[in-house]
Amino acid sequence: MEWLERYRDMIPDFEGFREVQSQALPSTCRINTLKIDKRSLLDRFCESGIDYQSFAWYPLGLKLNLEGPGKLVENLLGYIHIQEELSMLPPLLLDPQPGELILDLCASPGSKTCQISQMMKNQGRVIANEPSLGRVAPLRSNCDRLGVMNVAITRYDGRRFPSRPVQFDRVLVDAPCSSEGRERRGPGVLCKSSSKRSMDLHRLQVDLLRSAIRLVKPGGIVVYSTCTYAPEENELVVEKVLDLARLEEISIPGLAACPGITGWSGKDLNRELCKTARYYPHLNDTGGFFVARLVKKQEHL
Amino acid sequence: MSPDSSRSRNIFEPLDCSFVADLWGERFGIPPSAFSGYVFFRKANSVWAANKSILPRLSYEAIGMRIMNLKDRPWKPTTSALQLFGQYATKNLIHLDSTDARAFMEGRTLAVESDAKSGYVVVFYGGEVLGCGLYSRGVLTSQIPKERRLASAEHSSEDLSLR
Repeated sequence: MEWLERYRDMIPDFEGFREVQSQALPSTCRINTLKIDKRSLLDRFCESGIDYQSFAWYPLGLKLNLEGPGKLVENLLGYIHIQEELSMLPPLLLDPQPGELILDLCASPGSKTCQISQMMKNQGRVIANEPSLGRVAPLRSNCDRLGVMNVAITRYDGRRFPSRPVQFDRVLVDAPCSSEGRERRGPGVLCKSSSKRSMDLHRLQVDLLRSAIRLVKPGGIVVYSTCTYAPEENELVVEKVLDLARLEEISIPGLAACPGITGWSGKDLNRELCKTARYYPHLNDTGGFFVARLVKKQEHL
Repeated sequence: MSPDSSRSRNIFEPLDCSFVADLWGERFGIPPSAFSGYVFFRKANSVWAANKSILPRLSYEAIGMRIMNLKDRPWKPTTSALQLFGQYATKNLIHLDSTDARAFMEGRTLAVESDAKSGYVVVFYGGEVLGCGLYSRGVLTSQIPKERRLASAEHSSEDLSLR
């Protein structure tokens, strides 16, 4: 927890931020419209006496007032997917369209992959890349359970994903990170945090984001996200690619966000970084998250 | 189909739709039209289905959904595939009541009277497909994958409704 002190000047209501760390996250799920429509799912929940509340900002996201939602038959049959609230945000910002070719560069366990598939109505193609063989199994399992048919899984090192034969319409980089924003899912991640760890991840994240911009078509969208607060893994990563892509402002009605920071550790950062968004756990009763929406510049053909 | 070549090489080989439609039609009475929107591949002893769309020339770990295992006889449909195509089945299907449906979802073996032929069956509850079962002489064995099973109910006499 002491590690969080470095964010005291960055995070509004810092005491509230510290206090919420020890409170468990609410159970949340996404309705999987590949298998059931929202009305039918909500009718089932009402019949079963399951107490739910829709998110203010996303109609397919639900807060569930129960423990162990993973064992609900609706989850086992793939009608819902247990997914942290803010994990549903990057696919919305990616805004994939049916028929497009999408790359999810760091896909496992596939919550966002399957949400992208659902947004595309099982049409077009999602390439879900996951280099680790051990992490392919949960990715496949989720795709199968959720009735996903438009996903194909690859196992490339994301930094060296082949540039040919095609360019993607959109690319999601939900990057490996120090996961500080996941402390509420179970304490432990913060004690592993260090500047060295964040800087090691920073190098990998920059390479992955550069790779994503290389792989997307000119004018195409790249969404970069992490579940950490460390600026080294967020704004300082995005800043490295602003010669290749421009930032678009992020605004999600119903979800309280803070603008990305434009200074850290006594140094000024690119002012455009205020267009990225930070989400803190005490402001929305969620985990912590960072997202950036980038558009590849036309001149880099 | 060229089974020998795909068995020896760990790659996805395109498979004619009629290969899948014939087998599923024969066992489950599913019309060929149910499969017309998909493309099929064979990799070693498994058959995969995906939507019809662009598939860049890359090295794949998986394409769409694994729908059948051809290793043993009879061939085995996956629960995921039955949840997609099983709704069109006209034979070798079994409808369960809520008590049996719960036990089936727990992965248990049940005594069930059915006119289904011995082999893999589509298991329904309340009009929706639960998944794959193996039926033989009044005994239905759940084939629900372990990670998709309900936890065993300790209070089995309580309300077992799945809905």
